[in-house]
Amino acid sequence: MADLVCRGLRDGVLEGEYAPALLIKDTLQISLGVHVFNHFLLSLSSNISSGKAQSRGLVVVAFACPPCFYVDLLRSRGIGVASLSNWIVDCYSDPLGWKDKLLNSGFSAQLSSKSHDKSSVGDVECLFRDVGDAEKLSSLVFDLGRGLVGPGKGRFSVAIDSASELLRHTSLLSVSSLINNLRSHDQVASLFWLLHSDLHEPRAILSLEYLSSMVAGLEPIASPSTDAQRNHHNHLFQLEQNSRRGKLHMRLKRRNGRVKILFEEFDVEQGGIKFVPVSLGNAIRNDAILPKVQFNLQLTDKERGDRAKVILPFEHQGNGEDIKIYDGRGPIADAPKNIFPTPRLDESASATITTSSNGGKGEIHYFRDSDEEALDTDEDPDDDLDI
Amino acid sequence: MMAATGTFTRNPKSFSHSRHAPPPPGLKIGPNGTPIVSTGIQDLDQLLGGGVPVGSLIMVMEDSEAPHHLLLLRNFMSQGVLHRQPLLYASPAHSPRAFLGTLPAPIPPRTHLHTPSQQQEEDLRIAWQYKKYFGNEQMFVESHRGNHWDFCNEFDLRKSLDRQLLGAAHIDCVNLQDVEDLASLRDRCSAFLAPFARTEEGITCVGRVAIQSFCSPQCRYSNSDWDMLFFIKSLRSMLRSSNAVAMITFTPSVVSSSSVCMRWQHLADTLLSLRTIPDDDKEMAKLLTDYQDMFGLLHIHKVGRLNSQVPVILEATTYSLKVIRRKTLVLERLNQAPVDASGGGSLGGCSGSSSARLLDF
Repeated sequence: MADLVCRGLRDGVLEGEYAPALLIKDTLQISLGVHVFNHFLLSLSSNISSGKAQSRGLVVVAFACPPCFYVDLLRSRGIGVASLSNWIVDCYSDPLGWKDKLLNSGFSAQLSSKSHDKSSVGDVECLFRDVGDAEKLSSLVFDLGRGLVGPGKGRFSVAIDSASELLRHTSLLSVSSLINNLRSHDQVASLFWLLHSDLHEPRAILSLEYLSSMVAGLEPIASPSTDAQRNHHNHLFQLEQNSRRGKLHMRLKRRNGRVKILFEEFDVEQGGIKFVPVSLGNAIRNDAILPKVQFNLQLTDKERGDRAKVILPFEHQGNGEDIKIYDGRGPIADAPKNIFPTPRLDESASATITTSSNGGKGEIHYFRDSDEEALDTDEDPDDDLDI
Repeated sequence: MMAATGTFTRNPKSFSHSRHAPPPPGLKIGPNGTPIVSTGIQDLDQLLGGGVPVGSLIMVMEDSEAPHHLLLLRNFMSQGVLHRQPLLYASPAHSPRAFLGTLPAPIPPRTHLHTPSQQQEEDLRIAWQYKKYFGNEQMFVESHRGNHWDFCNEFDLRKSLDRQLLGAAHIDCVNLQDVEDLASLRDRCSAFLAPFARTEEGITCVGRVAIQSFCSPQCRYSNSDWDMLFFIKSLRSMLRSSNAVAMITFTPSVVSSSSVCMRWQHLADTLLSLRTIPDDDKEMAKLLTDYQDMFGLLHIHKVGRLNSQVPVILEATTYSLKVIRRKTLVLERLNQAPVDASGGGSLGGCSGSSSARLLDF
């Protein structure tokens, strides 16, 4: 179902609506968000370069990885960067403009040599030095995007490498308004960004989820065990697991107002990432939404079985077995074996009471007065009274 | 479904003779003699006891994953436009005016609606002690005859409101993103509500205020929770002293702390909340018979009553939102399909769920 998300990003936006926005969030436990981000980036890029997507260009705002990483990534998939359908805003090298200031203030010798190691495709990069100003960043993105697709009706997509880095430099308010402006801009077809959810306050995460139309959350496959004894082994095993595999929990806001909830397992391999749809089972629990208030007087098989297993506090268990007086002490030696109680305890059974005793041991033989009667009659002994 | 009104009801006729003019369109006398206006949704009006009391505040808690609050707002605003009630609309969108283009048009009312009820009075002789269960609508049918407006219109969500009607209507739009601080918004509201101040002569005109997604994260004031609370409180006090109603929607998840969220909820006179439902959910499809038609749930937490100490206790507080034939919005009680008891614990499920999201039937 990650295909659904890819399709959503590819199809873009309808006239008059806000652009679809995907939020990818991961945690420390399962920190494979980068791989998922790259997967969506590659799929969108390939759709753009093959012309299937609504957008005709992609602007990547790179915070966490250098631009050459993205160039190499795209090139390794055969998506030609030279086709100039991508722009990479480099917020990685010098986000706050320190190198510039240092250069200006005279520590020039070592730094100037390093600043020349740009990759050969420097044309698609744009260095951005003022990450604290989200407005400047957004206008730069718009300019680059417009440059990519030309003025008019063309649309472009935006990918923000890590909104966590952005939130580090500016406030939630600026980031929210940046995303909102991107979504409502006439020329933006879709956008997506990555977030590390344990780095921020819940309010920040919820605000960004509120602004997005698709949320993909990474979760570990197995929840951490709480048993302290086996903790060490399990912990290592889970670390091993979580460094390669995980579960993707996607919530897509649909136009009819409902939310589509999907689960998929993914496996990070050498060549990329593979998604496997998982059978839900009880993954979606609606207990929080709807209580179970049905009144059903029929019993399921399980309940009938449980009922049959209940030890009655009478001398007979109603199933034709030897009478054992159960007073609650100790386990029962003979558990009742029949599911359905037999209707009556007849003469032959009562005869076995006397004959099945162990020889030599003292026993109490109790003969019920009402043995000749059928069990469970509705006869009320008070009926005999004449008053 | 009948709200508990108790045995004491004010005789509304005693208020009508004090008015020199017929009541303005869109206004009628509701329970306990309070003037009420419509929300634009007939089912919701019925649940709230006929309509919204003038001078009260409706708070709608949105679900961050669904746009259902826009439906409520659209109907509310459309009804106001149809009744020629001035409207102040504030929204965090780039162009609030564009939203006005999505207001639904009314379905032309059937003109024979009024006559059967009169005949009902004659043919069906209802015992006097049961007349109170037929609500106030029948008693005031006579006063509405001759007027061309319906108290509550049915809206067709596919068609948008006539441009001319919109152009002629008095609608003020405010872009919440441009609002620097809430004091200016408050001044704007008080300037809007000034013409509707309550006077001795009775109500001539009712105003409506609609604020959408008040605490959106992209608004500049969204960090200052206490300022927002103070704004709501002052808006409510302005409403009490004027003939207007207000509907504010907000998203509880985006508000920074739960205590602020609780205070926000307490400030409302009428509190509604919206929940979305998962799509293609087989479990839910088994539990609810009309799962295919509905797209959300509306929960009524509180029904506002001015002029009365008697609280409104509804029989059921959760309703499903449906659009019938893609045209009209209706609210229906939830119908649960009979389900096999699933191995014990079935009746204990109610108490286990978190109280903030507990739905009841």
